[in-house]
Amino acid sequence: MAEWRQYYQNEDDEVEEDEEDSGGDYKISGRDSLVFLVDASKEMFIKSEDGETSNFDMTMQCVRSVYTSKIISSDKDLVALVFYGTEQSKNPRNSFKHVYVYHDLDSPGSQRVLDIDKLLGEKGAQFAEKTIGSGETSLGEALWCCSNLYSDIKLRLSHKRLMIFTCRDDPHGGDGAKDRQARTKAADLKETGVVIDLMHLTKPGGFDVSLFFCDIVSPPEDESELGLQIEPCRKLEDLQKRVRAKELKKRSQSRLTFSLGEGVNLAVGVYVLARTATKPSAVKLHRDTNEPVRTKTRYFHAHNGGILLPNDMKRAQVYGKKQIVMEKDEVDEIKKFDDPGLVLMGFKPMDRLKLHHHIRPALFIYPEEEQISGSSCVFTALLLKCSEKNVFALCRYIPRRNTPPRFVALVPQREELDQSQTQATPPGFNVIFLPFADDIRTLDAHVGPTASDEQVDKMKEIVHKLRFKYKSDSFENPVLQQHYRNLEALALNMLEPEPIEDLTMPKVQMMDARLGPLAQEFKDLVYPPDYNPEGKPAAKRKTAESGGGAAEKKPKAEISEEELKNHVANSTLGKLTVPVLKDACKQFGIRTTGTKKQELIDALTMQLSK
Amino acid sequence: MSSSSALVLCMDVGFSMSNSEPGQEPPFEQAKKVIQKFVQRQVFAENKDEVGLVLFGTDGTKNRLAKDGQYENITVHRHLMMPDFELLEEIESELQPGGQQADWLDALVVCMDLLQQETMGKKFERLNIVLLTDLNVQTSADQLDVIINSLKKAGITLQFFLPFPLDGEDRADGGGDGPGPSAASARPGKGLSSQQTQGLEMVKNIMTSLEEEDGLEEVHTFRDALEKLSIFKRIDRRPMAWPCQLTIGSSLTIRIVGYKAVTEEKVKKSWTIVDAQSHQRDDVKRETVYCLNDDDETEVQKDDTIQGFRYGSDIVPFSKVDEDQMKYKSDGKCFSVLGFTKQELIRRHQFMGSQVVKVFAARDDEHAAVALSALIRALDSLKMAAIVRYAYDRRSNPQVGAAFPCIKEKYECLLYVQLPFMEDLRQFTFPMLENNKKFTPSESQLSAADALIDSMMLVEKDEDGESVDVFKVNHIPNPQFQRLFQCLHHRGVNPDDPLPPVEPWLKRALERPQAVSARCQAPLQDVKTKFPLKVVVKKKEQKTSADVFGSSADEPDAKRVKVDEEMEFNLAEIAAGNITSVGSVNPVRDFCALVRQKTVSFDQACQQLTHRIEQLLGNRSPEYYMKSIACIQAFRDQSVSSGNAELFNSYMQSLKRSVPDRNLQEFWDLLIQDALTLISKDEVDGSTISKQDANQFLAFEQKEEVQAAPVQEDTGDVDDLLDMM
Repeated sequence: MAEWRQYYQNEDDEVEEDEEDSGGDYKISGRDSLVFLVDASKEMFIKSEDGETSNFDMTMQCVRSVYTSKIISSDKDLVALVFYGTEQSKNPRNSFKHVYVYHDLDSPGSQRVLDIDKLLGEKGAQFAEKTIGSGETSLGEALWCCSNLYSDIKLRLSHKRLMIFTCRDDPHGGDGAKDRQARTKAADLKETGVVIDLMHLTKPGGFDVSLFFCDIVSPPEDESELGLQIEPCRKLEDLQKRVRAKELKKRSQSRLTFSLGEGVNLAVGVYVLARTATKPSAVKLHRDTNEPVRTKTRYFHAHNGGILLPNDMKRAQVYGKKQIVMEKDEVDEIKKFDDPGLVLMGFKPMDRLKLHHHIRPALFIYPEEEQISGSSCVFTALLLKCSEKNVFALCRYIPRRNTPPRFVALVPQREELDQSQTQATPPGFNVIFLPFADDIRTLDAHVGPTASDEQVDKMKEIVHKLRFKYKSDSFENPVLQQHYRNLEALALNMLEPEPIEDLTMPKVQMMDARLGPLAQEFKDLVYPPDYNPEGKPAAKRKTAESGGGAAEKKPKAEISEEELKNHVANSTLGKLTVPVLKDACKQFGIRTTGTKKQELIDALTMQLSK
Repeated sequence: MSSSSALVLCMDVGFSMSNSEPGQEPPFEQAKKVIQKFVQRQVFAENKDEVGLVLFGTDGTKNRLAKDGQYENITVHRHLMMPDFELLEEIESELQPGGQQADWLDALVVCMDLLQQETMGKKFERLNIVLLTDLNVQTSADQLDVIINSLKKAGITLQFFLPFPLDGEDRADGGGDGPGPSAASARPGKGLSSQQTQGLEMVKNIMTSLEEEDGLEEVHTFRDALEKLSIFKRIDRRPMAWPCQLTIGSSLTIRIVGYKAVTEEKVKKSWTIVDAQSHQRDDVKRETVYCLNDDDETEVQKDDTIQGFRYGSDIVPFSKVDEDQMKYKSDGKCFSVLGFTKQELIRRHQFMGSQVVKVFAARDDEHAAVALSALIRALDSLKMAAIVRYAYDRRSNPQVGAAFPCIKEKYECLLYVQLPFMEDLRQFTFPMLENNKKFTPSESQLSAADALIDSMMLVEKDEDGESVDVFKVNHIPNPQFQRLFQCLHHRGVNPDDPLPPVEPWLKRALERPQAVSARCQAPLQDVKTKFPLKVVVKKKEQKTSADVFGSSADEPDAKRVKVDEEMEFNLAEIAAGNITSVGSVNPVRDFCALVRQKTVSFDQACQQLTHRIEQLLGNRSPEYYMKSIACIQAFRDQSVSSGNAELFNSYMQSLKRSVPDRNLQEFWDLLIQDALTLISKDEVDGSTISKQDANQFLAFEQKEEVQAAPVQEDTGDVDDLLDMM
């Protein structure tokens, strides 16, 4: 199913469906690129008051985390690391002074992560001092150098972003010429489609964006967006969050028409905000050279060996002992019901959306003003009204050509911001897939006795003790983590992979400690003393349909001594079943060596004929 | 495990069945359709049900009981067996009206005998006889009690299908696409013969004595049945129990059983590839070869390959053995509570996976039932859910999910849904919509939206004030399956016909309900006038040639009208003077000129041209594709005329190899359209390519089939065992 994308395809293309048809009407080509332009001036290396990390160190940690996450999630993206304000210079043509291209624009690999590791911590600062040093600053030169990095790339770049990390709000110390040059170069970059962001860090006395950087950075995506964060980043976590929010270009999986009926159509982009991440598929390599090999599949005729072209083959299925044959085109045609798009059926109150009607992860839609102008306005009106009236929209959804329809619930979601004014939930509709009749299975429910209030109250105490605040991003996938640690260990020649912490395992000790005697108290309330829930289920006992009354103890399938003796006398023990015989052995404290029926009978006969 | 049933279709083909009022379909034809539809459903449902067919009123007699003039004109047409297309074809071609009449009670006895004889030694959950008759025959009721008793004894159920309804009302009215002008005119008491009236009484008698008052529900009209039968059976799977233990901490354990309750059902069968002529599957062989990414596409034996994984730009060799040894190991099945949380913190749109599992206490374990009930009720009253680690078994990957309490009138359970891992989430930020000057809807716009929503509510109040959902998605059969079976059936019966259109009832089921459509007319018009919506005409991508080629000085205007080639060359030569290299504005012209002028060698000219082609392809947009195609066309023409196929052919081969990596499929399709293939021997003597190779060159081997079924190692789930069986 879902797989992280290989090759150039848009990572958000939906792959759950048959892969044969990727031909939606909207495709993204090219790769994303990201340049980290990091200030290497002395100020960056000054440790913060609490003596913990310098701005430089924090930046490097952040860069490292982007590198490793890119490796996992979008290994085709290009990333570069450039320092400015350095003593040493290193750039492709060595035409720029005090600009040090540490990493050229390329996809990040294991070596690059190692390179960054060299710059981390106390040792890293020393290493940086030695290799790049701190010197004169000319942001203009640096930006120019970066623009060359972009233009040297032969690949098509779909999204270009440049992030400046600095703690100096006036890098040129009032040198107007340099300021001007920087502005011009920034403008040139922006002209070619590069988005420039400022990741400003703390500076004693406060970072004043308006002094210089407001002219350098790109204007926010639209006027309403919170452009520059006023507060500089103090903590690594904040910085990472900010970088992460910018680093991934949001991209729609497709753009569709949302038809309300009667020719009222708006355009929406469909986004995947959650999808199961799986291990990427393996690449086949040649054993001798470790060179990747490609696979070629061809069809040929079994008898004459001729290559079969698509036209030489048809599709078939067998039903009722008959083979039914169709052309490939017909197989596709069968799946076509309508053109791709969303068609509004109507609205329903939210309580009609059943919790258990879940078949696939949801999608998200947001208006596309660029396709149909005015879409945003209708969309917003619907969003506000649906939310206010607590209803969802029911739509028929066809994601792409030759795909059968599904019904979806469009659930309104209004924008929410967190404390730091970053968007926590975006405004738009969540698209929830609804099951058809075929998708719902008929179960015969187990009916059993229910718990008493006392028992429920005890459980409430347990629940209370073990409550926590669930956050969707707090669990890492241990399988993936282990996989990448293994790869990392192999790639970086480590002796063994770094151990992972499996967050999906229950913290049993902590839970036990918190529960204290509660667990036992509860068990005493619901389980009889001899009940062992962990044991194998006892031989299936047929109960008369328990009518929902309180748990009453069933008479044990025991057999009296007298009866047993009778059986022994008449040698009819063989008529009893093995469990009964076993129970009987237990009852008389007979130790049996075997569990075969005859052994049980023999043991019982021995005991009872004494 | 037998959930299957055995049933005998018992159809009256006697002469009265062919009687009908003018313009009406005779009952015989209707009954035949019912049988066809029924068998069709059985064929596609592919269960283990066995079906027999008994006809009565036939001219001949063929049954075990026929003796001494008894049980005459009753024919066992097909013994109990799984229905197949042969049966369908027989019904189509061999089922003809007979010229006799036979007692339907006699036929019933023959059917009972058939069922009893042929189910001996086999286990069936249900034995059923379906009688289709117009009851228009004299019956001898003296055996009725004996028959009822033996039906009861044998546990055989009965269903009647009649041309007219049992009670005076025509229940099936209002269904639009019944079988045309139907039998509705034949009302009981009116137009019914005395035999029919008597027969009706007997039917009632039998059915009520078999099933008491519910019995009469198994008497249907032909028309009613046809409508219901036109829907193919939904895909039905037996739920598979997943026994496990719910644990809280180290000491609290509850025995549970999980069942997949909701999951996206897929068609059970996939298409196989057969040879177009012979329709034989075995005639098509598939071969997968491994080859190096070099010019010769050197083939490598499968044994000489190892597996690796991408780690960013690196590929790390990582053998299967190592991978298995180092991979995450889960310690078997589990359903362990990690903690409890407020239900509102679990967002509906963050549900992951493709299923919902219902978790019950172990069957027949009342202690477990009480313990689980305590948990369910506690969670329900606190509005909380359990966050659990779920692992189906040792082989499968662990999940983190939520278990919600679910209390129904008849039962209680937990509903388990998978939740996302951190890696699954994408944090995208979207521009705000509210309080955005450009998009904020006005008051009047808001009220238009408001009115639209009100007019389009799919939940209506019925007479009792209860709200009724008029569009229940979970009652609609998956249209994909319906359509597939419809087409398969059609093709199976009529192998040479084109595919039929989508059935009207299915089309309707996917449309907005008519009442809602009517209601929302005016509000929609209002929305239409109040909100200006305009399709944006797509602007061509703003690209300067500087972006494309690095320099723009010598290329004033790339847009040129295509002129006749010869003429263009002349003009070009005059205008451009001496052409010395292949430029980017009009590479075709430059190339042709170079070749003609022979200022540079042919090799060099070709090299320059291919350089331009590569540049153009780097842009991957249609305009540039067209230009590239023109270049390739020129390249080919000039190659053929100068008798040098090698350069062109080797360039094309390398281009083809790069198609998947550069995502140039679209471009390649254009080449296919223009049939711009390799230069063959027939065209240039020096070519090493045969005509046939050239023709096949453009086709890409079918890759989809390989990719379509990626090996999945971790989807193990509740149904796996079932799937493997």
